[in-house]
Amino acid sequence: MTMAVATRQTLALTKRSTKAILRQPALMVPSFVFPLFFAALSADSFGKTIRLPGFPVVDSFLQFALASTVIQGVLFGSITGAAALATDIEVGFFDRLLVAPTARTGILLGNLMGSALFGGAQSAIFICALLPFGVRVESGIPGIVVMIISGGLIALGISAIMSAVAIRTGSAEAVQGAFPLLFVLLFFSSVFFPRQTMHGVYKTIATWNPISYLVEGLRSLILDGFSLSAIARSIFIPTGICVFGTVLALSELRRRISAK
Amino acid sequence: MSTTAIPTTSAKEMLRSSTLRSSWGLALRGLRNIRRLPSAFVPAMLMPVFTTIAFSGTFAAITKLQGFPTDRSVNWFMPLGICFGSAFSGVGLGFSAIRDIETGFYDRLRMSPTPRSSLIFGPLITAWMRAILICIVVITIGLIMGVRFTSGIVGVATLIAASLGIATICLGWGLGLAFRFRDMRGAAVMQLTMFVALYLTPAQVPLPFTTGWLHAVARINPVTNILRLARQGLISKSSADSLSWANTWGGLVAILVLSVLTLIFAKRGLAKLDR
Repeated sequence: MTMAVATRQTLALTKRSTKAILRQPALMVPSFVFPLFFAALSADSFGKTIRLPGFPVVDSFLQFALASTVIQGVLFGSITGAAALATDIEVGFFDRLLVAPTARTGILLGNLMGSALFGGAQSAIFICALLPFGVRVESGIPGIVVMIISGGLIALGISAIMSAVAIRTGSAEAVQGAFPLLFVLLFFSSVFFPRQTMHGVYKTIATWNPISYLVEGLRSLILDGFSLSAIARSIFIPTGICVFGTVLALSELRRRISAK
Repeated sequence: MSTTAIPTTSAKEMLRSSTLRSSWGLALRGLRNIRRLPSAFVPAMLMPVFTTIAFSGTFAAITKLQGFPTDRSVNWFMPLGICFGSAFSGVGLGFSAIRDIETGFYDRLRMSPTPRSSLIFGPLITAWMRAILICIVVITIGLIMGVRFTSGIVGVATLIAASLGIATICLGWGLGLAFRFRDMRGAAVMQLTMFVALYLTPAQVPLPFTTGWLHAVARINPVTNILRLARQGLISKSSADSLSWANTWGGLVAILVLSVLTLIFAKRGLAKLDR
């Protein structure tokens, strides 16, 4: 199989995967509504906390919450793509793809690319939704572009890890069951409140939690402006998760194929 | 006249005793389902534990805000966790009702000579028992984390009263929706509405600390009074929000009114199901 054919197949599967996400509004809508609801809620709940010692210098809590909103939406959204892959396995469509002359990696990458596109689009929508409420992104348009790319990469990375779960278990329920784990990871990180205000074991957990670094990279672009450090954290950490997740998912795919 | 009066009283007594027996039977079935189908109850137990632990740590710094009514974040967030768990206990039985409707078990219940009211009172007793179980577990975890009941045993009682109240309201709401939707679409509506009603309150910070639209909504949301009832026994004695009749009666009235309304909603839904 030539590279051109494999690329065409992957693009076709990407298109299908994107459509599959858009066709499930019941799963897709919460990944938009809940982060925006929490942003609105936090802005009016924690508005006075921005004067606490250790809190980063911000215009408003909503400016602080923009990065959290992007991360929450992208993480929840990336489950949708993996759940769609699990559903393909459950209904037998995945087996039909395997018996077709399709590139094996294309099946997985197509799905992941769909999630990445959705994650990027989500990031753009969240930024556009909060900008009219006085949220300022210090790094300007280039920073927003980096945030959108970062959102796509985070979605790809998390979706790859969830796809590994989907391929191993072949169950959409198992993928959805991983949702509470993401929820726990979100709360024990600096997504909702800065690490500088935490103490003891919570600070230690948040420091070890990779989600903290994902959100702090984006937050740095919003609060501090365009810097190499901010770009590195926004792009390289998600890229590392992408590589790890994709390798994991591919090895699960190989295991599944060899088991058949 | 007397000959007709005696059987009527007897029939009423029989009905009452039958209602109690059937309700108790259904309540026990609800409790047995915890063991048979743990996935239906475990989230209701984990949610308050998680809320108490995670919120107390993540948002611990908010207690440093001037005028915050307690110096311990766990004192502030544990009642919220218990209210969430109790709410899940209530709507969780709504999910069970949907499952019973879908599997046809509810049709068998409706065909049996069981008083209709027991189909509501049975789950209500289960919801209360589950809420008590949640209170025991979460308060124990809270005590390990350093929670302090500033008003002693009365504070524990008001927290449990709020928990039972929320379980009742959410059960009525959950059953009412289950009887109308009759499939799992109802479950999403139950969860979403419960979640929104609990969050549009001073769930995270006291009412005077909220601003904008949330302040306006939380002021008129009756669940705010129930949360105040739940928290008052854990608030510093020097705070205006600490245990007092003024902080109690609003919560009790909210529980009473919302419970009556949601249980009527459930009863009417059951009547529709019968038709």
